[in-house]
Amino acid sequence: MVRWVNKQVARIAAAALVWMMTSAGSVAQDIIPPVGLHDGEDVAQPIEFPHNIHVEVNKINCMYCHTYARRSKVAGIPPTSKCMGCHKIIATDKPRIQKLTEYWQKGESPKWKKVHDVPDYVHFTHERHIKKFVFDRDYPVEDVKEICAFCHGQLKDMTVAKKVKPLNMGWCVSCHEKNGGPSDCWKCHK
Amino acid sequence: MKALGLGGTAALAGCDLPTTVTLEEGKEDVVSYLLPEEYAIPGIAVWYASTCTQCAAGCGIHGRVREGRVLKIEGNPDAPINAGKSCQMGQAGLQGHYNPDRITTPMVREGGKLVPTTWDKALAMLTEKVGAKATLNADRVAWFTGTLSGHQRALVGNHLEATGSKQHFAHEIVNASVWQAVSRDMLDDPMPRIRLDKAKLILSFGADFLGTWISPVHFAGQYSKFRTAADRGALIQVESKMSLTGGSADLWVAIRPGTEGALALGLANYLVANGINAAALSAEVRDKIAAHDLQKVAGITGIAVAQIERIGKALKSRNPSVVLAGPSVEGQVQGYEAVAAIMLLNVLLGNIGTTIEPSGKFPFPQLEAKTGGTRDLLAFAQAVQQKQFDVVFVYGANPVFSAPAALKLDEQLNNVPFKVVLAQFPDETAMHADLVLPVSSYLEDWGTHVAAYQAEQSQIGVQQPLMQKLYGDTRGFGDVMVALLAMRNAAQWSAFPDSYSYMKNVFANMKTSVGQAALSGDEFWNNSLQTGMVKVDAPARKHTVKPVVPNVAASTADAAYPYYLVPSPRMGLFDGRHANLPWLQESPDQIAKVVWDSWAEMHPSTADKLGIAHGDVIKVESEHGALEVKAYLIKAIHPDAISIPLGQGHTEYGRYAKGRGVNPLKILKPVTDAKTGELAMYATRIKVSKTGKQEIIIRLGHSDTQHGRRLARTVSVDVLKRTKGA
Repeated sequence: MVRWVNKQVARIAAAALVWMMTSAGSVAQDIIPPVGLHDGEDVAQPIEFPHNIHVEVNKINCMYCHTYARRSKVAGIPPTSKCMGCHKIIATDKPRIQKLTEYWQKGESPKWKKVHDVPDYVHFTHERHIKKFVFDRDYPVEDVKEICAFCHGQLKDMTVAKKVKPLNMGWCVSCHEKNGGPSDCWKCHK
Repeated sequence: MKALGLGGTAALAGCDLPTTVTLEEGKEDVVSYLLPEEYAIPGIAVWYASTCTQCAAGCGIHGRVREGRVLKIEGNPDAPINAGKSCQMGQAGLQGHYNPDRITTPMVREGGKLVPTTWDKALAMLTEKVGAKATLNADRVAWFTGTLSGHQRALVGNHLEATGSKQHFAHEIVNASVWQAVSRDMLDDPMPRIRLDKAKLILSFGADFLGTWISPVHFAGQYSKFRTAADRGALIQVESKMSLTGGSADLWVAIRPGTEGALALGLANYLVANGINAAALSAEVRDKIAAHDLQKVAGITGIAVAQIERIGKALKSRNPSVVLAGPSVEGQVQGYEAVAAIMLLNVLLGNIGTTIEPSGKFPFPQLEAKTGGTRDLLAFAQAVQQKQFDVVFVYGANPVFSAPAALKLDEQLNNVPFKVVLAQFPDETAMHADLVLPVSSYLEDWGTHVAAYQAEQSQIGVQQPLMQKLYGDTRGFGDVMVALLAMRNAAQWSAFPDSYSYMKNVFANMKTSVGQAALSGDEFWNNSLQTGMVKVDAPARKHTVKPVVPNVAASTADAAYPYYLVPSPRMGLFDGRHANLPWLQESPDQIAKVVWDSWAEMHPSTADKLGIAHGDVIKVESEHGALEVKAYLIKAIHPDAISIPLGQGHTEYGRYAKGRGVNPLKILKPVTDAKTGELAMYATRIKVSKTGKQEIIIRLGHSDTQHGRRLARTVSVDVLKRTKGA
């Protein structure tokens, strides 16, 4: 009897854990997102790219466009060819898309302005962070934007990206401490 | 690197690097790919194979390429010559490529000044001067290059043929021409393979094989085997000024400049007296040896009899050995004789065939290296003086910098009506040109290279672009050559719009002759690019030993000019071609540890005699000119020698090189080695006087002593021998 009860408790606990981990909008209990905010500047970009439309309205996964994030240290600004993959057909009447098409026809990429950056002496890799927070935990990839939001804020609420997290060392270290990230200086400073 | 690779991509296109990398939001450009290659992932590097051209050794390299930018160079592990290693000059190749002083447009002389022009106008000028309709008398067109090999040499050969000339001058200040001449005469092999790894003793007369001699990366690899063998090899270096190799020697012996030949004969005398059989040598050679008893040799060389005996004993007991001769031996009026005397030691000791092996006979003579020397510089200067040329092309050489002032080459070049310089940088020679054609860097260009010195496996080094050209208006050397050839002979050459099409055609034809007939054309081409080389079977020559009678004569004293000038090359700035690379300027000289400067090394006893202190500015004067340079007191030099390093003293050559230090080549006496006609670079006599000025010499470490602080502790060999265990 006791054993049966124990089994049931374990089952419920496991189910609860799974529910917590998979419920939309939540990032589960086993990781603690970094705390801290930054009041970033509004950055004028060559094209006012609406993240909100892509993320919130069209539900496009971050990694569909920032495809290198899971493969490389940099997430990568999407190649212009990627934009044109959809926008040859979609929303061609919109001024922003017409501007984009002009770039494409000239054979140029827009000169985007960098918003998120760390100093040259910091070795940050997207690949490792996505592996730890998403793939190693079987976190649903469709919700990856919640993980990206740790460092980039909620892009679903922005047009062009804005720096809303400090991205400084204390902030990085506090997250590493809470989530068991490496604390060796040389992991990040190379 | 971020500035090069990621952040400042757009800024780099104009080559106007930001002075600071900012973390401010929205300040730096970040440009995405327009249409990425399947395999290209930003942040992840791809390595491509190519061939280094920083010196003539032809090492295989791998270049790390990320986001379309080459960021790092390493040795290619599969290249037989360098086996994955590279030297600091190879590493610094990137700084030539990304150098802010590169020439980015063609320039033409108008009203006495070089002004930018277009390729169309430049090519129109060339068509007028050397095109199909130009009347060119025989031998009125000349090419002046550095060491040139592979298809670059073939193309220059084709161009000379097309213009009815045989005038190709190849010039290198750092060379082994006399060593090659002696090897050719004595062994019937111009570039015998040296097996330091098989030797138990290396006796080197001024051959800086770890720094600048022939193929330093290759020899450094052999040297490490020689040193780490169970029976550790010993190195004895005999020279007047300590080189990098000398600094690594077990025994370093300072010799009076120009007396190495006498010492070699003295050692031969010792060996013969101690049971080495010299019966195979001619009576004349044996007489020469007999005439050099140790007492006499000690008098000539300034080396004590006991020391000579010590070297002789080591030569006799440590077999096999190898005896080498470097530029300070070659660069004498009797240079050939001295090198012959040194090679004779190899013959006596039975080293021929053991540590001096026959080289392979390269099967494609048209691609073999035309190795440069200084004889061609002198011949060129004379020809120019005699107004023998209408058009001169210069590529990969800077004769206006390297010619002694006595030759007056800069003025004499006015005797050439049309001078075309293919250059990457505004060097001294380019500034004398009538037309300057900006060439691509070696990391943007096609080529093949056949080094004069080959490892056991011969190879053709393949050079391919590791990235797109930084400047759209530069052109590859091959691109210029096929254009020049097409304007002379359109029927044959207009099929090749650029060097890429030429190279593809060359490789299609090469496949069968290098034993790769089984591969398809594309497979062979792709393999060659992937590996960065084509391996070639070169049948071994046979050494037939014909000892030359070494007519070694000691130089006579000169009361007016009592010291010898030693213009020393070093791994780094080399002959001056790398003076515009900041990494190499700031790499300390391996012996003196000085950076970004020139200095004159002298022995403290000499300085004492002349009342000169460390850092005093002295006047170094030869019959042909004078230099002012800081005195550097160092014990690692013969008291009769004053050494000024090569490489500095540029009057042009961009912001890092121009106006820095002095060029000792300028005050050289234009005398030659009697046999080969090579410039006797180490035969200039000088006098030294104080100027009364004093300056600080900037160097790493600043001091040679520990000032009693015992930072690095030592124990004597005797104490060490009495220690067991720990």
